[in-house]
Amino acid sequence: MSTIASTMADYRHQLRNNRLGLWLFFISEAFLFGGLFVSRFYLWGNTRPELDQTLGLTITSILLLSSFFMNRAEMAIAHDDRRTFLNSLLITAALGILFLIGVVGFEWRGHIRPWDGAFGAVLFGMTGMHALHVLSGVIFILIVWNNGRKGHYSSERHWGVEACAIYWHYVDVIWVFFYPALYLMGTVVR
Amino acid sequence: MELEKKRTTPSTPALAQKRAAAYRLGTIVLIALAVLTAIEFAVGRSGTAIVALLIIGLFKAGLILQYYMHISLLWSDEGGHG
Repeated sequence: MSTIASTMADYRHQLRNNRLGLWLFFISEAFLFGGLFVSRFYLWGNTRPELDQTLGLTITSILLLSSFFMNRAEMAIAHDDRRTFLNSLLITAALGILFLIGVVGFEWRGHIRPWDGAFGAVLFGMTGMHALHVLSGVIFILIVWNNGRKGHYSSERHWGVEACAIYWHYVDVIWVFFYPALYLMGTVVR
Repeated sequence: MELEKKRTTPSTPALAQKRAAAYRLGTIVLIALAVLTAIEFAVGRSGTAIVALLIIGLFKAGLILQYYMHISLLWSDEGGHG
């Protein structure tokens, strides 16, 4: 086996281990988010507080759109399209920041406060923990963007991009369940 | 400038075609997610259908796991980026 082929085989082996490690991390994170999800049903039951539906739908759409651009960035670097890769990363980060503004700047300034009993505790616990992950995801994206700008990734080697993309989509998957649990399920209690 | 052009221009028509197909798939998944979110919103507004909302959520999560997170690469023997 030539040196190049051997190096690529090593890289692929390492890639499989990295990927498995990342998914194990996601499983551990699922317990955290799962606990918050279950606490919503335990404490709220078949009720929910009155929340701004337009805001909920808007921030959900923003996060879904950000996942699209993150996927576009990953596909771009996998197919040697550096300009689309860098632009898509920046758009994803911007959408992530918009999502944070929607949650922290608008939802958290609504009529429910963290000390308002079960409604406040669950709402702020779930959105707060999720927002923290969005914030870390945005930082991760900006680090990958900076590395990408310096030419650290190629179509053959871009584990950093793949890990960042999978992490971002994971945060999106969490919101896929949190959004209906907070905004849509149960009867509104005024 | 020349290097930048080389990096952003498809090297072969086959690569350009593969890339276009990858972008197209991403767009199709986004449209499916948007439609499911619209259905979810309508179902949520119409009543307290918790099970229906959970099922829609599972479909959305499945789409993201399969097409955006490439979960199938976990048990792929090739070990590449997919």
